[in-house]
Amino acid sequence: MASLKRGGPLQGLRVVELTKIWAGPEAGKHLAFMGAEVIKIETNAALDFTRFDTLTGDINKARGFMSVNPQKLSAQIDIKSKAGVDLVLDLLSHSDMLIDNLRPGAMERLGLHWDAVRAVNPRIVQVTMGMYGNDGPLTHQTGYAPCFCAIGGLSAQVGYKDQPPTGINMRYGDSSYGTAAAYAGLVALLHSRRTGIGQFVDVSAVECMTTMIADTMMDFALNGTEQTCDGTRHAEMAPHGVYRCRGGDWISIAVSSDAGWAALADVMGQEGLAGDARFADLAARKANEDALDELVSDWASVRDCNGMVGVLQGRGVAAGKSCNSMDLVTDAQLWQRGFFPEVSQPDATIRPIVGPGAKISRPAQICDDAPWLGADTDYVLRDILGLSADARASLKESGITG
Amino acid sequence: MNALSSYRVLELAEGVGGEYCGKLLADFGAEVIKIERPGVGSPTRRLGPFAMKGESIEHSGLFGYLNTNKRSVALDLTTTAGRDALMQLFAAVDIVIDDHAPGWLANVGLDPLQIDDKWPSLVLCSITAYGQNPPAERKHAEDLTVFHSSGWGFHTPGVGFEDMPPLKGPGRFFSHYEAALEAAMVITGSLYDRESDGRGRFIDVSMHEVMVSRADYVVAQFVAGEMDVTDWRGGFDMHGPGGIFPCMDGFIYVFMATPDQWAAYRKMIGDPEWARDLPPDWLMKGLTPERIELTRHGLRTWLAGRNKVDAAHEAQELGITLVPVNTPVEVMASPQYRHRQYFVDVTHPVLGTLKYPSVPYRLSETPAAITAPAPLLGQDSARYLSSVAAGER
Repeated sequence: MASLKRGGPLQGLRVVELTKIWAGPEAGKHLAFMGAEVIKIETNAALDFTRFDTLTGDINKARGFMSVNPQKLSAQIDIKSKAGVDLVLDLLSHSDMLIDNLRPGAMERLGLHWDAVRAVNPRIVQVTMGMYGNDGPLTHQTGYAPCFCAIGGLSAQVGYKDQPPTGINMRYGDSSYGTAAAYAGLVALLHSRRTGIGQFVDVSAVECMTTMIADTMMDFALNGTEQTCDGTRHAEMAPHGVYRCRGGDWISIAVSSDAGWAALADVMGQEGLAGDARFADLAARKANEDALDELVSDWASVRDCNGMVGVLQGRGVAAGKSCNSMDLVTDAQLWQRGFFPEVSQPDATIRPIVGPGAKISRPAQICDDAPWLGADTDYVLRDILGLSADARASLKESGITG
Repeated sequence: MNALSSYRVLELAEGVGGEYCGKLLADFGAEVIKIERPGVGSPTRRLGPFAMKGESIEHSGLFGYLNTNKRSVALDLTTTAGRDALMQLFAAVDIVIDDHAPGWLANVGLDPLQIDDKWPSLVLCSITAYGQNPPAERKHAEDLTVFHSSGWGFHTPGVGFEDMPPLKGPGRFFSHYEAALEAAMVITGSLYDRESDGRGRFIDVSMHEVMVSRADYVVAQFVAGEMDVTDWRGGFDMHGPGGIFPCMDGFIYVFMATPDQWAAYRKMIGDPEWARDLPPDWLMKGLTPERIELTRHGLRTWLAGRNKVDAAHEAQELGITLVPVNTPVEVMASPQYRHRQYFVDVTHPVLGTLKYPSVPYRLSETPAAITAPAPLLGQDSARYLSSVAAGER
């Protein structure tokens, strides 16, 4: 039973992470946000490269690392040594879940494969993450988030009409994949809680991506239709686009009904537009979408973005600014809802972070920044594993722990 | 028995977000009772892709996909009898999923502010575009506008496309699927301590916040003042020679950022003289437009004589993260997807037998499974309305 007490639905749960970069840490972050005690095992000789920040030059103040590892503990244990792996196995016998996203085959080489893990704790859930999943002919191939999107079919769906695909922004993929892993892990954990039977959970990044275009795949299965990239267009809405405004901002507008079009046409105020037969219903608007988009573009180009959003929303039309990074950090609603909670570090540095995507009643307290390297090694060795001071000193001296 | 078989879910949702959330639970065995309007059913029944032409509420492949393993109960919530039946259902379920606009739940008798008093063991999840109390300028939303208010839209595609308009995400329901996944995760987490204390929770999922949180790696740096905030469309990106490139039969994606990957790239393209002249760590410390263009040119030349699968195979053997950009047919034909049986046959009385996408996780003891197709409208009404009225569980 974890001793960390932050409240929330997962208080009391202990999760061990052998994760790197973003997707694996994201899975653990979700659980930590719900109150779980999440312990990152870090090996000095093989640190997550997000610990190395060329700007801050401080492994405890590495920006990317801090972004996706808040609320966690860090234990510095050399998992390349047999003694270190034994310590991890001992820790796993006191834990509820293990998450890893190491290279394919690494867990087996370390002796942390499922048979070894369940031998020390039959109730545990082991979540293993790999680009292609843990099993299959292409499992050995590796990649980063944009690779997941390319393989999973997403990239081919994003781009300009009659141009090569561009894919979604290159940062997309890891966090969704981590979320799917957290979900599957929690399902397995509920089962373990009820039955005492742990299990192995094999999560595929590329399949996770494909679920994000599942209905596109259904279209192919049903009709043999292969969707391709088409700018911002949508089969069931028109206008459906992003238009440049006065001053260079962009506004997104999506019209899902004839009434919505009537409202937009009225706001645009051009004589005869509301009654123009070319745009009378969805089929007509789709058939004349180039002309429609040109009209909306011309109208938007000389107007203020937020002004248009206000008027269109007042008329029931879905419209919003296409937000840049400045807009995101100054978003009044996000601040008002507490989306950027403040957390602290051991040196009393306080900074805002990105909070959970969902608000829950009786939430866990979100208060701690990402851990400093090895900050909780003693907690793990002494309080969880019950090692004596001499034993801990000896492990440290031999370089097995930090 | 699957992992969630002992849980009963009432699905009031009528949109893609709530229905996908219900599906995520149903595919692990949860008993999901979907409430639909008599005669017309869920609005997703009228969204494509469709199996055939003609008016039918049973033709939608979208509805078919989103509602596997569920029960359909037709109930008119505009009548007193309908409301009464609904109240009885509230008391007979563990979880309620909704995705109507804020205020709708209170109007049907399930005020989120009162669940602690009236239904203390209920896990109630509401999925909305901007949360329970959106400001006036965020009352109306579609997937596109949420995607664009989250930062993802403005930064798609990203660097190199500053002169072109920002794009939409892949498919039609990208933000909806993401919010649904978040909702399913938090619902399941909330069931964990409910096992011991029997207390439910209210879960307020804002699609917007879910999408912003999906960019946590960069947005956290922006909000902490560690990265400059700008109105630059490339502001999310890492830079380098990687990207999407044409090959003989389509496109590949390649990512290169480390000295090891540079050494492997040189080997792959035959180590020409210009490549030998570049510093070994230039991808990390010496990016210039000239070097990037030289590298891209070398890659294009190498790719011109290769198809995507062979290119990926050769590059991966050398340690380069190069992969195919797959079209839908290529995803379905992938030997990996086939091996893992990601696409599964589902037989529906109207849609017929089709290959449905399944789930991206394999659980050794309780694998997700599609054991029943999406329900026909109201097919389970009699069973649930009578048994629930009789107080059965």
